[in-house]
Amino acid sequence: MRLELKGLTKKFGSFTADDDIDLVVEPGQIHAILGENGAGKSTLMNMLYGILTPTSGEILIDGEPVSFAGPRDAIAAGIGMVHQHFKLVGPFSVADNVQLGREHTRGLGVLSAKAARKAVVDVSEQYGLALDPDAVCEDLPVGVQQRVEIVKALSGPKTELLILDEPTAVLTPAEITELLQIMRNLAEAGTSILFISHKLKEVQAVADTVTVIRRGKVVAELEPTASEAEMASAMVGRAVSLQVDKTPAETGEARLEVKDLTVVSAAGVKVLDGLDLTVHSGEIVGLAGVEGNGQTELARSILGLVKPDSGYIAVDGQDVHGRSPARRIADGLGYIPEDRGRDGLVSEFSVAENLVLNQYKDEPFSKRGVVNSGAVRKRASDSIAEFDIRTQSPDEPVSSLSGGNQQKVIIAREFSRPRRFLVAAQPTRGVDVGATEFIHSRLVAERDTGTGVLLISSELDEIYALADRIAVIYNGRIVGEVDPGTPRGVIGRLMVGASAEDTPSPTTDSDEPADDEEANGGDR
Amino acid sequence: MAVDTQTLPAMVDERAPVRRVKGGVTYAVLGLFLLAIAVAVLGGDRTTTIAFDRTLTDLHWAVPTRPVVLALGAITAAAGAWMLLGLPQRWTKFASAAAVTAFVVGLLFWSYSEPGTVFRAESILAGALFLSMPYIFGALSGVVCERSGVINIGIEGQFLMGAFTGVLVANITGNVYAGMAGAMLAGLLSTMLLALLATKYQVNQVVVGVILNLLALGFTSFMYDQLKKTEGFNNAFSIPTISWGPLADIPILGPVLFQQKLFVYVGLVMVFVVWFLLYRTRWGLRTRAVGEHPAAADSMGVNVNRLRYWNVTLAGLISGFGGAWFTIANSLAFNKDMTAGLGFVALAVMIVGRWNPLGVLAGALIFGFTTQIARDLDASGSALIPGDFLKMLPYAVTLVVVAGLIGKARAPKADGVPYNPGDK
Repeated sequence: MRLELKGLTKKFGSFTADDDIDLVVEPGQIHAILGENGAGKSTLMNMLYGILTPTSGEILIDGEPVSFAGPRDAIAAGIGMVHQHFKLVGPFSVADNVQLGREHTRGLGVLSAKAARKAVVDVSEQYGLALDPDAVCEDLPVGVQQRVEIVKALSGPKTELLILDEPTAVLTPAEITELLQIMRNLAEAGTSILFISHKLKEVQAVADTVTVIRRGKVVAELEPTASEAEMASAMVGRAVSLQVDKTPAETGEARLEVKDLTVVSAAGVKVLDGLDLTVHSGEIVGLAGVEGNGQTELARSILGLVKPDSGYIAVDGQDVHGRSPARRIADGLGYIPEDRGRDGLVSEFSVAENLVLNQYKDEPFSKRGVVNSGAVRKRASDSIAEFDIRTQSPDEPVSSLSGGNQQKVIIAREFSRPRRFLVAAQPTRGVDVGATEFIHSRLVAERDTGTGVLLISSELDEIYALADRIAVIYNGRIVGEVDPGTPRGVIGRLMVGASAEDTPSPTTDSDEPADDEEANGGDR
Repeated sequence: MAVDTQTLPAMVDERAPVRRVKGGVTYAVLGLFLLAIAVAVLGGDRTTTIAFDRTLTDLHWAVPTRPVVLALGAITAAAGAWMLLGLPQRWTKFASAAAVTAFVVGLLFWSYSEPGTVFRAESILAGALFLSMPYIFGALSGVVCERSGVINIGIEGQFLMGAFTGVLVANITGNVYAGMAGAMLAGLLSTMLLALLATKYQVNQVVVGVILNLLALGFTSFMYDQLKKTEGFNNAFSIPTISWGPLADIPILGPVLFQQKLFVYVGLVMVFVVWFLLYRTRWGLRTRAVGEHPAAADSMGVNVNRLRYWNVTLAGLISGFGGAWFTIANSLAFNKDMTAGLGFVALAVMIVGRWNPLGVLAGALIFGFTTQIARDLDASGSALIPGDFLKMLPYAVTLVVVAGLIGKARAPKADGVPYNPGDK
């Protein structure tokens, strides 16, 4: 299928999300769309998939103008989409998820489980995507769930164009390698692919051509051979440093000691299973691992939101057992939560209020239980200037800010008070290149003042850029502590439970070219 | 592929004994209570009489009460002690169920040991099935709504509307079946309002449900007072009991299954029909998808709000019909607030049944049985427990079952969450 967009524009009130976008996707081509958060990528894809109606402009398929009233029309026209947030019904089987909306029936609306199962097996064999049609989706690993999404997208009546919206955000390095290979195979078989990403390495590895979007406009058409710096500056609109400048760590006494920590979930799973970890002052320890291996529980145990079933946690040399999160924060624990919407911000509160959320009861922000709004406003304007928070005013609700700026509010709050130890969980998740650069440099500056930093990240690039020491977590245990000079492949294997010694690993394709290994887990 | 060869995370060993202190203490105390009753209160001459009162009317089976209660008390206490000492995880539920069953049966033996009381097995079981009907209709209506992602807290109101309209239409037309149809229509109109407010206007569904309940209560009470002034609008209508010939003479089964009113058969059939529709048809697949992950259904071209609207509206047919049970099935005229909170108990039954029609059937039977026992003991004048306490029994069972036995039942994920196309 040849897809062409001509002057596609989408306005929400006075705000223009996409402005006069022209784009051509040739048959069998992998066309990457690069852009920061809020650049208009998702709006563009939602128009292509019939979820949003364009304000003006047209979509042409094989030269014919089309208009979509809903996803059903887009699917019928041969477009399949893999959404960034998986659209899988958790308790349903793979076959039920794939047939949803175009069910196999025996007449009168009675489902035929046999036909549904066969359809999944047929598509998965045709494209070499192994799947068990009877598996329940919520029990599957994320990488396999994504395979279900791809099979679902390919199961349309004649899918010829596949849209992949940030498909690698939640995958392990090995899964990313596999996905990129699947994309190449599909393109070779004639499927056109629109690949939306802000991870430069993956785009370089797989794309045939690259379109960069900034603030709703096409700002550059690049070859995949373009350098990372070139792509990044096109996305951000200024030169971006992809390297973090830092000096060797000067470590001191232990600021975090975790010994034999065990946390059992309600389902009886040991999400943390005798974990040991130490972080010293003046160093950044990067905790690498596939999400869901106990990182969340570790961070929440350190703050005191999760009560460990056994084990010992000391922050700054003091056993914190039985202390409330408020007490731990007052004693000098900083915490950047992985889910800022849930744990980091009160979204209806103003930027100013969020900036003092863990200090409001201290002088000078309140006296005898009454909040001093003057002091709060002053802190807000100081922080907004220092941390370059883009907001119309300190009184705006924090929910009106972009993801990157919301994260800056949290960073500003945590960095505006003295602290001894900092937990930074996914500090740049959903944050664009420019803000990432800023947050990284602040984390290093923080380390240089002697704070111990535990950096929890599922992005290997981030770990490599910042960490002075890397610990790998798998199934609730630290399975290896290595120095940052360790090759990616070794850490990638540790992350899926293989031991560091057995190289080459039997679990990954050993005939994969070396430069593809480099592409694994690229996060920019 | 690397992802498929991952080892599983460590689990807590399921076979390792676990101590359940709270449950263990509770059951041990209940068991000791039964033992104490057997020793202190029940004389050795007490007997509990079980009768097949409708088929084999001559058969009276008198069982000495004390040894039976002693044995059941011992079972309850033993299960409690077992839980206190520690037992493998997977046996916990079994021990719990054994303790509860033994305790309840023990209580029944004690209650029916008063001189002059007889446990009329067939009447009680048939009555229990009949009394479980409002729970079945209400909970099935709730299942259809909540599986589609809309909380229907207004079942009580739909019952009232159905009960009132059923009698009114039967009086006007002189036809009791037209009355039933009228009740269904009234239920449909009530839920249509909920459907409209929940989907098109995205109003908080719990608030809407509460208001619809109050509206139905006010409306039916007002109309009742107005129509009372004129004769011929609120006379009781009744429907015949359907007897299946020789089948009705089978002991126990006959009176329970083959000598009931139309409502019982409709209710039982509906359980299986709704189950089949939900789990075996295209409509069911889409309905469950819309209640669990509406964005997923939307991305596959399912119109989420339209499906929700129609499901909720049609669910009103079921709860409206359930309303007619209060008047027509019981051969009663309408009375103010005659549903007495059973619509809320039906919601509890839905949760107890884990949003599954078959679970609803099981839950409804428990509640129907409790209600029947309470009525029977009250009527037999058993001096043991005051009548007002007996009337509390179904509600107390609701609390115990929802809070204690069921624990965390998982509601459909998008239950009560309005959906806007484009949401994630």
